[in-house]
Amino acid sequence: MTAPMINLRQVSKSYDRGGETLKVLQALDFEVASGSFEALMGPSGSGKSTLLNLIAGLDRPTAGTIEVAGTRIDTLGEGALAKWRANTLGFIFQAYNLIPVLTAVENVELPLLLAPVASRERRRRAETALRVVGLEDRSLHYPRQLSGGQEQRVAIARAIVNDPTLLVADEPTGDLDRASADDVLRLLETLNKELKKTIIMVTHDPVAAERATVVRRLDKGSLA
Amino acid sequence: MNLASFAARNVLRNRFRTVLTVLGVAVAVVAFLLLRTVVYAWTMAADFAAKDRVVTRHKVTFIMTLPKRYVDDVRTAPGIKVVTFANWFGGKDPKHDTEFFSAVAVDTKSFFQVYDEMRVADADLERWQTDRSGAIVGDVLAKKLGWHVGDKVTLESGIYPDDPQNPWTFTIDGIYTAMAKSVDRSTFVFHWDRLNDRIATRGQNEVGWIVSRVDDPRHVAETSLALDRLFDDREVQTLSQDEGAFNASFLAGFSAVLRAIDVVSLVILVIMTLILGNTVAMGVRERTNEYGVLRAIGFFPRHIAAFVLGEAVVTGCVGGVLGIVLAYPLIERGMGRWLEENMGVMFPYFRIETSMVAVALGASVVLAGAAAAIPAWRASRLRVTDALRRVA
Repeated sequence: MTAPMINLRQVSKSYDRGGETLKVLQALDFEVASGSFEALMGPSGSGKSTLLNLIAGLDRPTAGTIEVAGTRIDTLGEGALAKWRANTLGFIFQAYNLIPVLTAVENVELPLLLAPVASRERRRRAETALRVVGLEDRSLHYPRQLSGGQEQRVAIARAIVNDPTLLVADEPTGDLDRASADDVLRLLETLNKELKKTIIMVTHDPVAAERATVVRRLDKGSLA
Repeated sequence: MNLASFAARNVLRNRFRTVLTVLGVAVAVVAFLLLRTVVYAWTMAADFAAKDRVVTRHKVTFIMTLPKRYVDDVRTAPGIKVVTFANWFGGKDPKHDTEFFSAVAVDTKSFFQVYDEMRVADADLERWQTDRSGAIVGDVLAKKLGWHVGDKVTLESGIYPDDPQNPWTFTIDGIYTAMAKSVDRSTFVFHWDRLNDRIATRGQNEVGWIVSRVDDPRHVAETSLALDRLFDDREVQTLSQDEGAFNASFLAGFSAVLRAIDVVSLVILVIMTLILGNTVAMGVRERTNEYGVLRAIGFFPRHIAAFVLGEAVVTGCVGGVLGIVLAYPLIERGMGRWLEENMGVMFPYFRIETSMVAVALGASVVLAGAAAAIPAWRASRLRVTDALRRVA
């Protein structure tokens, strides 16, 4: 039996808000198999984004252990965690979050600036990633010259350019119209099926969730 | 693309603001250099004074005079090479009564020996020495007032009586140039004998100050003390100082002004730092979300700090260089030339001090870094999740 890509044990997360402790996740056990495409649904405030941030190493749990792609990330220091993110993870945001002063291909190249990769090789890999998302003809366009759907596809290219084992997507279709959302979901399916990327996606959209192989529901910090 | 070119793109992200900030820094650098040049030009007469010249004056104040016979006593003192003397005349040309220049009655035989950095043609000097109504003027003054050799000019004195029947009319016998940049090129010198003969008997045979050149500049302090001891028991006591100290004591009267200019020049640098700090802080606030994205995709806190610091330093550096480029024509060709021609007594050489250029450039870079230090630290310490939630 292969080890799960994501393995959370008894994970709790609480925040201090004006002297009150706000418990977001409570003793959560959560596993995601390698190579799966899972959707995480639930009402606002249920803890979906918090869970995603913990899996992506952007936040730390109050209690419990988090192992992702074979690494205990809850014990890593800031530097090691940043390095781990750069090597292991691709992050897709709801608002695309492209850098407006960089062209599409430069945005995709951005994560590779941290790796010991020669400049020409960086550009080649970025162009390959753009080809995967079907935007090779837009490589020199700036984000303001792209549609929302195209921007999100560039963001996906940026997320896969360093060949991560795990993609985390936080409402990747939340800002898109139906047709663009379908394009993005089709692309995520392809990445999962053909490139064997493990994907975990937070969404409010039932249509988007249908494209995942597994749908989980989170309510008040616990899996329903 | 690399990390440096990525940072460079961010400098030009908000071009209008960047241009305004660069201009702000440039203006601050120009103002700083201008004020430092005022201080430098004002004090350089003291800094560049001849090391072998001793000025002897009345012990109480340089406004009071000394008996002329003291000149002979100084001349025979040990260690003295050559001696001259002078009286302040305070003249002005009534045709150009807003133009201020120093007019001094001097000993024609010795004046240009003691002040050998003032050069006048031999033939002109000989003619002047035999022409009691003759005068030698600086080249800058001659050019400004349109005087030529052979011209007759009439001056009025604010100190000595002006007689319409017997005006202070002089023939320009020669024009001196300067071999040292600290020399005032707007001085008017004429025969001391002529002044002495014109004034009332009670004030005759008095000199304003005595200037000597010593054999050995290393002994100038001992020689000064020896000269003063010479007159300790006389009716008028003296104060002898090397020329630098004499010039400095003259400047001491303006020390409050010089100190104020010093302070203002530093205040300008503080203002420049605040301008930069404000710009950097605005940029960081607007880009907080992006810093969150960069951190999420693997950038380290030190990368974020370096981006913020780098942008500030580049902006400060470009502003500093632009300020220096603007300062040279503005200060040296425009204002400096005007000041040298019109206020040569105070500013004989109004030029930017080279070391101050380095200070200005260094300050614009270092202070830009200092201005960005806190925003950079805060940006690097942002929690990724908080930064991602922030909308510009």
